[in-house]
Amino acid sequence: MTSEKKLSSSASPENEFPSVPSASSKGNQPAQTKVKVAEKKAAQAQKTGLSSMANKADASLKRTGRMKLYVRRYFRRPSAVVGLVLLVILIFFAIFGHFFTHWKYTDLDFSALSAPPSADHYFGTTAGGSDLYAMVCRGLGRSLSIGIISSIGTTIIAAVIGTAIAYFRGWFEKVGMWLLDMLLVIPSFLLIAMMVRSTSGASGWLWLTFGLTVFGWIGYARVLRTLTMSLRELDYVKAAKFMGVGSFTIIVRHLIPNLGSVLIINTVLGVVSAVGSETSLSFLGLGIKAPDTSLGTLLNDGQGVILTAPWELIFPSIVLILLTFSMQLIGDGMRDAIDPYSRSGGKAE
Amino acid sequence: MIKYIIKRILNYIVMLFIAISMTYFLASAFMNPRSNYMQRHPHPPIASINRSLDNANINDQTPVIIRYFRWLKGIFTQWNWGLAPDQSPVGPAIASRAAASAQLVTLATILGIVIGVAIGVYTAIRQYQWQDRVLNSLATFFMVIPAAVMGLFIVLIAIQINNAVGTRIFFVTGLHSYQGSNSWLWFVDFLQHLTLPTISMTIPGIVSYHLTQRTYLLDTINADYVRTARAKGLTLNQAIRRHALRTSLIPTAQSVAFSIASVFTGAVITESIFAVHGLGSYFVTTLNNNDINGSVAVAAFSGVCTLVGALLADLFSAWLDPRIQLD
Repeated sequence: MTSEKKLSSSASPENEFPSVPSASSKGNQPAQTKVKVAEKKAAQAQKTGLSSMANKADASLKRTGRMKLYVRRYFRRPSAVVGLVLLVILIFFAIFGHFFTHWKYTDLDFSALSAPPSADHYFGTTAGGSDLYAMVCRGLGRSLSIGIISSIGTTIIAAVIGTAIAYFRGWFEKVGMWLLDMLLVIPSFLLIAMMVRSTSGASGWLWLTFGLTVFGWIGYARVLRTLTMSLRELDYVKAAKFMGVGSFTIIVRHLIPNLGSVLIINTVLGVVSAVGSETSLSFLGLGIKAPDTSLGTLLNDGQGVILTAPWELIFPSIVLILLTFSMQLIGDGMRDAIDPYSRSGGKAE
Repeated sequence: MIKYIIKRILNYIVMLFIAISMTYFLASAFMNPRSNYMQRHPHPPIASINRSLDNANINDQTPVIIRYFRWLKGIFTQWNWGLAPDQSPVGPAIASRAAASAQLVTLATILGIVIGVAIGVYTAIRQYQWQDRVLNSLATFFMVIPAAVMGLFIVLIAIQINNAVGTRIFFVTGLHSYQGSNSWLWFVDFLQHLTLPTISMTIPGIVSYHLTQRTYLLDTINADYVRTARAKGLTLNQAIRRHALRTSLIPTAQSVAFSIASVFTGAVITESIFAVHGLGSYFVTTLNNNDINGSVAVAAFSGVCTLVGALLADLFSAWLDPRIQLD
């Protein structure tokens, strides 16, 4: 029992990269340091005059933590920093933006219909008299929350199912892959649209998130299954299995943490595609509907007045592009920070 | 070879059957054709609503399993995909819409593949040089622009150009407006309509083929057999063209195969912006009309297209890659 615990605890944090061959040698590092420290102590006892040198060596042995390394590598990339700053600004705008105007997104200003941007209505108004600034705030919040929630949900489902299919092998793998292929036959966009269209009102966005999650994980699970096929051959996975560790425990404790970097990156990039799907559905009038609003719904409204009130189209578009672009930059930056083989440049300090 | 293909097709037919059946139940659960009539004021007599719903086999008072078997019987015995709530047959509507979609999407698909693969090869050979960096940042930028934004901005720009020039160079709605019989004028008119939607669909195509082809070629460009070819005296360009490019085209060929089939399913967003009555906009119409049979038929059609694409992809890669044996 104790050996199993030791094995798993040393396995999961140390071997985070599926493709790093030096993972086992990395595991030796703490032991080596200990030996060195012991040697130093012995030396200290022998020659007290060398103690200052030993202290120096001790200080230089300080290891850089993994998170620290990732953060440092991430911030070395200017585009990634730009992406992060943009996203923070957008989130701030989505949460606190409505404090800067006295209009609510449901208010109608009948004295200013289709008014261009002004001091009172920062982004102008729609044909119905709604304040576009307030609506963009609200829509951005909706699009962001739909994108983030459904992307996280998709990743969790895909990770569990994808690794399970690869781990159990045999007929389970055959049937599982066949089912995944079968679910991919009908384009998921059509199925989501079918499901979401009939919903409306305040809970509409939850249904949309649900639909994007339920039909979004399938292709991703196939990719993860391919990645797991090499992981399932690892020695410590076999060892855990032969020690009688439960399958679910092995999947959650050994296989999924090994895919950690892939999962994190794909969650971030998944937000881009989820926001894209949400926008498309709402743009077609199948997603978020009035009185609620999202960036796609705003684009749909702007489509009709493209000549008379172009601000109705331009402001939601700019916010939308900023959102997807920042997520993409963050995802690329994280990939380079986490990927041990990245050649994106930068020097070790 | 033939045996393999037949086995594959049988497998695909079973998949398709289950997937379409699931779609039918999903559509029946989430769509309510009765509401089409109940929303009217005053609504028609309940008996007459029931009669028309029964006639189209979409009455929610009939158990869904019975409706499902009736629907299956119609397809298997008469190739009848059912009726829309307004009693018009679904099958012929899909055929004409698919033709319109094909007119719209074909050119954009071809242009996307050719230009995208060309740029991908160009940038892979110049990895991390300024051409690669510029084109890559452009690609990243265009990749994240949602289709709706892209289409609407192209419309906006085209209208500005039309106003600046003073005549109507680009049409922003439909595919045809010329009524005469002169085939040259018909063609020019068609091009004027086709340019904008083609641009808005070609850009995403170029971007995705560029990025994937670049990655694939970079994967093979450092392979041992390319180094061997160089060691035997081939120039870098010859080695890439004869050895690396060929291998790297295999995965691209697979995605090309998938896109051939998707030509007929059209592009929902682009059709909606440019008011083209293709299959994509038909699907939106069926959803808005609570047309269960129509939307399931569209889903079935795109399912067939997906599987034809998958089969083509298998055959393509077997043809290009001698390591794959189809037995």
